[in-house]
Amino acid sequence: MSCEKVQKQISSLLDRELPAGEREGVLAHIGSCRQCGAYWEAFAGLRAQLRGLDRPPIPEDLRARLRVMASHERERRLVRLSLSARMSHWASHARLVFDNLMRPLALPFAGGSLMALVTFSLLVPSLSSFSHNFGDQSWFKPPVPESSYVPGVVHNALIVRSDIVAPEGANAVELTIDEQGKVRDYSVVRGELTPDLQSIIMLPPPFSPATVLGLPIPSKVKVIQYQAPNRRS
Amino acid sequence: MTTSILDLGADRIAETGAEGDDLRLAEALRQGLECAYEELLSRFQQPVYNLALRLLGDATEAADVVQEVFLKVFRNIGSFRGHSTLKTWIYRITVNEAHNARRWFFRHRRREIELDTNPEDTRQWKEAIPDRRRSPYDVAVEREQHVMIEAALSRLNPIFREAVVLRDITGLSYEEIAEILNVSLGTVKSRILRGREALRDQLAGSLNLRPALRLVPKTAE
Repeated sequence: MSCEKVQKQISSLLDRELPAGEREGVLAHIGSCRQCGAYWEAFAGLRAQLRGLDRPPIPEDLRARLRVMASHERERRLVRLSLSARMSHWASHARLVFDNLMRPLALPFAGGSLMALVTFSLLVPSLSSFSHNFGDQSWFKPPVPESSYVPGVVHNALIVRSDIVAPEGANAVELTIDEQGKVRDYSVVRGELTPDLQSIIMLPPPFSPATVLGLPIPSKVKVIQYQAPNRRS
Repeated sequence: MTTSILDLGADRIAETGAEGDDLRLAEALRQGLECAYEELLSRFQQPVYNLALRLLGDATEAADVVQEVFLKVFRNIGSFRGHSTLKTWIYRITVNEAHNARRWFFRHRRREIELDTNPEDTRQWKEAIPDRRRSPYDVAVEREQHVMIEAALSRLNPIFREAVVLRDITGLSYEEIAEILNVSLGTVKSRILRGREALRDQLAGSLNLRPALRLVPKTAE
């Protein structure tokens, strides 16, 4: 067996791809021929070096990209499998698009709606001209004016609270006292407007204005003049 | 712990896989089962990456090729009929994609570099980037040898490199290599032989090629 033929078969011998019949002859030649032995050693060493090369691990980013790609391709295949899968795919796609569209607008939309609601709820009661019935209002008691007049007798007339009813036969005038304690208006509630009453209206005594929580407010007082037949007669 | 749809043990997953298993995996992929996609990736992403890396010699190019390979696998799994094993089918796609990438590189990217870069800048750029092939002084001898082998591999004719990588690094049989490269067994043997000879010539004098398995009792002289 020539060295040239053996050297062509050494590669196959190394890979155990040489038929058994030829293997013995090649091995015998290698054992006896220094040149073919060196050839064999060089090939065996080269193969050992190739097998010992590093096998770098697949990069993590590539691994992640492959997983993402696999997921996409799986979805793509599922869509093609059946009509229901296709419909559900399009529904989820539409839902995703809608979510992506609305998500940036959600906060401004919610804020705007809330502000509109608050503004509307604040404006409506003041704009309405009718009285609202908010149910049981027995707990609510309006503040009572603490003092609105200097009670007493002026020009034969008695100054009293406006809720006191004038007796029959008396002359009574209801005065409207403003925040400064001045008479702004009057009305005859019983009898007639006598000169004494007129003089009270024209030159009123110093009224102190009624106050609610320390603040002066307009109020009414009643001036009652009892008829005095003795004096007239 | 994930459960394989094929109920494969760790040893069997590492094996080439029987045709029946391949067919069941392919059918599960066609049905869009999530675990089938995970199974395919766990079985093949690492070996496909290593194969692409050894064929191209560039990690970025290899990553692109791996993505292209799995994209084709996912989209063309319907055409897999089980005439070959899933492994050889995927490796064939890998070899073809690596071939396309290499061809594209020589047609486009190399020309772009030549036209767009100043030689002075290029020299500075290459000096600024650490070269993994050049070992520092304190790097182990084994690492230096690996670097030399990788450099020799990258200089090898791609036709021979494919055969050598598939045989010596990936560990495929001659029949599987013939199926992947779509050539005859004799051509496979010839390419492996010529590839090893070219590697040996390139590494002669710079590498101590000692046999890992000493079949012939022979002492060094």
